[in-house]
Amino acid sequence: MTYIGEHLYLQFWGNFFIVLSVAASALAATAYFFSFKSPDHNWKNLARISFRLQVLGVLGTAGILFWILIHHYYEFSYCWKHASNSMQLRYVFACFWSDQEGSFLLWSFWHCMIGIILQRSAKEYESGVMSLLSVIQFFLGTMLLGVFVFGTKIGTNPFILLRENPDFANIPLFKNPNYLEHLDGRGLNPLLQNYWMTIHPPTLFLGFALTVVPFIYALTGLWKKDFLGWQKPLLPWAFTGVMVLGTGILMGGAWAYEALSFGGFWAWDPVENASLVPWLTLVGAAHLLLVNKNKGNSIFSSTLLSIASFILVLYSTFLTRSGILGNSSVHSFTDLGMQKQLLLFLLVFVALAVYLLQSKKIFGKFYLGLSVILFILTFSFNFYPSICMIIFGIATLKMLFVTYFTGFPKDIKEESLFSREFWLFTGALLFFLSAVTISIFTSIPIFNKMFQMNKAPFSATKFNDWEIPFAMLLALLVSVGQFLKYKNTEKSALIKNLWPSALFGFIFGTAAAGAMYYSNCWTEGENNTGIRKLEYWILLCTSAFALFANGKYWLFHLKGKMKGAGASVAHIGFAILLAGALISTSGKKTLSRNTSGKNVTGLGKEFTNKKNIFLAMGDTLPMGPYFISYTGRTKAGVNMNFRIAYFSKTDGKYIPCFELFPRVQLNEKMGNTAEPDTRHFLSHDIYTHVSYADPLNESSTAGSNEYEDPENHIIHRSDSLFSSNAIIILDSVFLNKSKKEYELNPEHTMVTAVLAAHTTDRKVCFAYPKFSLDSTRITPISDSIPKLGLRFSLWNIHPQEGTFEILMSEKKSNKKDFLVMEAYMFPYINILWIGCLVMAIGSGMAVWERIRVPRNG
Amino acid sequence: MKSVHIFLIVILAISIGALTVVLGNTSTYADFSQATSNPDVEYHVVGKCDRDKETNYNPELNTDEFVFYMKDDKGIEKRVVLHKNKPQDFDRAEQIVIIGKMNGADFHAREILMKCPSKYDKGSPGQDGKS
Repeated sequence: MTYIGEHLYLQFWGNFFIVLSVAASALAATAYFFSFKSPDHNWKNLARISFRLQVLGVLGTAGILFWILIHHYYEFSYCWKHASNSMQLRYVFACFWSDQEGSFLLWSFWHCMIGIILQRSAKEYESGVMSLLSVIQFFLGTMLLGVFVFGTKIGTNPFILLRENPDFANIPLFKNPNYLEHLDGRGLNPLLQNYWMTIHPPTLFLGFALTVVPFIYALTGLWKKDFLGWQKPLLPWAFTGVMVLGTGILMGGAWAYEALSFGGFWAWDPVENASLVPWLTLVGAAHLLLVNKNKGNSIFSSTLLSIASFILVLYSTFLTRSGILGNSSVHSFTDLGMQKQLLLFLLVFVALAVYLLQSKKIFGKFYLGLSVILFILTFSFNFYPSICMIIFGIATLKMLFVTYFTGFPKDIKEESLFSREFWLFTGALLFFLSAVTISIFTSIPIFNKMFQMNKAPFSATKFNDWEIPFAMLLALLVSVGQFLKYKNTEKSALIKNLWPSALFGFIFGTAAAGAMYYSNCWTEGENNTGIRKLEYWILLCTSAFALFANGKYWLFHLKGKMKGAGASVAHIGFAILLAGALISTSGKKTLSRNTSGKNVTGLGKEFTNKKNIFLAMGDTLPMGPYFISYTGRTKAGVNMNFRIAYFSKTDGKYIPCFELFPRVQLNEKMGNTAEPDTRHFLSHDIYTHVSYADPLNESSTAGSNEYEDPENHIIHRSDSLFSSNAIIILDSVFLNKSKKEYELNPEHTMVTAVLAAHTTDRKVCFAYPKFSLDSTRITPISDSIPKLGLRFSLWNIHPQEGTFEILMSEKKSNKKDFLVMEAYMFPYINILWIGCLVMAIGSGMAVWERIRVPRNG
Repeated sequence: MKSVHIFLIVILAISIGALTVVLGNTSTYADFSQATSNPDVEYHVVGKCDRDKETNYNPELNTDEFVFYMKDDKGIEKRVVLHKNKPQDFDRAEQIVIIGKMNGADFHAREILMKCPSKYDKGSPGQDGKS
């Protein structure tokens, strides 16, 4: 069959560009490899041209994908899945990287940009780093291939046609050659339709891409047996990575806080952790590069950490994209059946890095051989994959130890306890340890799979237990760091420089801790135990110390100049960030209260049922310092907005303060999702989200006098019925025949049911529906309770069973529109955002100085 | 002993500590029979809601109590008392994970996670009558 209107040439060109990028990256890798072996211009020229062809391939692929998305060519599966006619054009970027294929392309695009800069700037390192980058680009390129090799699918192709998609193979739509005429796309998930989705992924992926630079530089250094030469040109790259990746991560936090109902900016979710861990090691690596710039004695650790960041990015790619996280993450990614390919991507580079780390060739070759055998066993024959992976892991660790003790030049002299390099090294170690612990805790689903365990994922509390001490120590190091000199520092000068900041830090931290303690910020929740409060106090003191010490360094030692102030500013930002995260998270207060009075603490301290407030339309209830009232709902597009008015009460009068509109997104694909609404004040945020409402009920029916359709209930005596406002008990049933009635019609009988309606405010009302029976007909006589808006009729009796059939109907106005809401107060969360901003600015300043004025060190 | 060796020992100690904590983690995935035999231990139970049985959520009386029946993977059914609001999307959830412990005949959950039918891939082209 010939289909009408398909743009098959785009598929051809798209696939052409994908193949071009894969082939050109393979060629570039090879040519750069030979150019590295023999510095010969022919090889280098070929290599440069092939890398540029590779860039052309990636740009072409991305361009065609954009073209398809902008023009809504729904014959392409990717376009049909993520775009729709109603989608605004400004979401086309969000649409582009909303799925795996597009985000791989984005990542690959940033690698290309980095590659182009490195081709110009890397000089004698060009062949080595570009050869490795080309290998990485080759692996990324294959992720988009979507071809079958020996029955194994390699990559997923973004240009697959809708009718080629196996899920839709036999649907009737494709019997029509003109199927495209009226086809509309499924559309971008409404959750992703916001500006965060436009800016967060490119920033985060640029951060991920920047971790590749330390990786390829370090490996090239090992390859050249040049242990230090690569470190100086790497410095600006490393700090750019710190800045961009840090910004990307915190943008994710801000997105979660603003638009998703996590109830905070950080939830220790596996996907969040997977982006944080490479940042931690990158910060460690960047600081070790500083040590080596001034005094080259952290060669092994700086090499290892430079390698680790990219490996951890690969690991996080594997974790988040392979579907292995399963139930343990809210960010569930689609499993495209690429688990093996992603794992191979990770393991190949681990093996390559550890191989290059070996100084003794024989060990390296043995390790490489073992790795290849294990990979073949695992990936081709599926031969005890867990055992193979365990052997590989042990061999890797063993080789790292061997190379540590044999392969690296070491400083014979012991470092002084009062030298900057010693404490920079300690700081890097702390960052690394924090990264290791977070990785181990996040890897529980992997351990489960490998060792057939069934451990549950860790709670945020456990993460905090482990990571808060690291934060305390790091804040302390950040305070002291800049006052230490390389090699040795005079003790008396150090103490003289530091004691005022330490004292101020202690006073300030203690005051803040005291204020929070005595204003009952820390009374809530299971997490704020005695030890935790002590930790909070220490962390507040140390971060205040860091703030004052770095401020002092900037003002008095650098005389407030901008030049050279990057580190101080970034450290101030880091200190503010830690304090802001602590204050806003630990002081988070639940404003909404469950008023049921039922206590569940008997079940354990982790049980609380005090989070929600019930708000019926029109009621005004106290909540925290406010009185709030639910005044209506309006539907706008996919969103149902709930209008909540906030009042303060003075002299018995309600004074309107502000309104919030938490919403529920009526999301067919993901299911209805609550989106918070937050009122920002300078000192705190009021954060609210709807935890339960009936969003399908579009307009309120309050005030209507109509009755709903009656419901039939078959009940025994003393059984209960439930209405929305009362519990109704069938109290008794009796025959009544007054004398007069009897005289009127001797055949006639009358049965009366006595229904007692117990209302929620403990009042009882009665209704007497009757049932009259004569020889000719049965007549139910209904009765109602106007106050409760209830109407009953008794219309049948089953004497054998002893049951009665009762129809109950309620006034429509009874079903009051309501919502169940959670509200929190986050104190001083602005401090956190200010800290992020200051830290990013500081890192930016440091990078700028290093690019502009290449200092001799 | 050089300071680097101390650092090496610290790295090892912390890593082993972290692994021990992971292995000693008492909170595990389990089924109802296991939860019943250890009533004081918290478990994550995976299962499906029994749609034939009545669920009960009366927010006017208690916003944080939702009662439903769940069958675990082995087919054992228990009444579950969730001490939270009824999740907005409960009626669509295909698979649920509840976190909590047995108390008497009921499972008391403090947290619930839901897996909705193929979160990302729903619908096929032309099924909405547009074509």
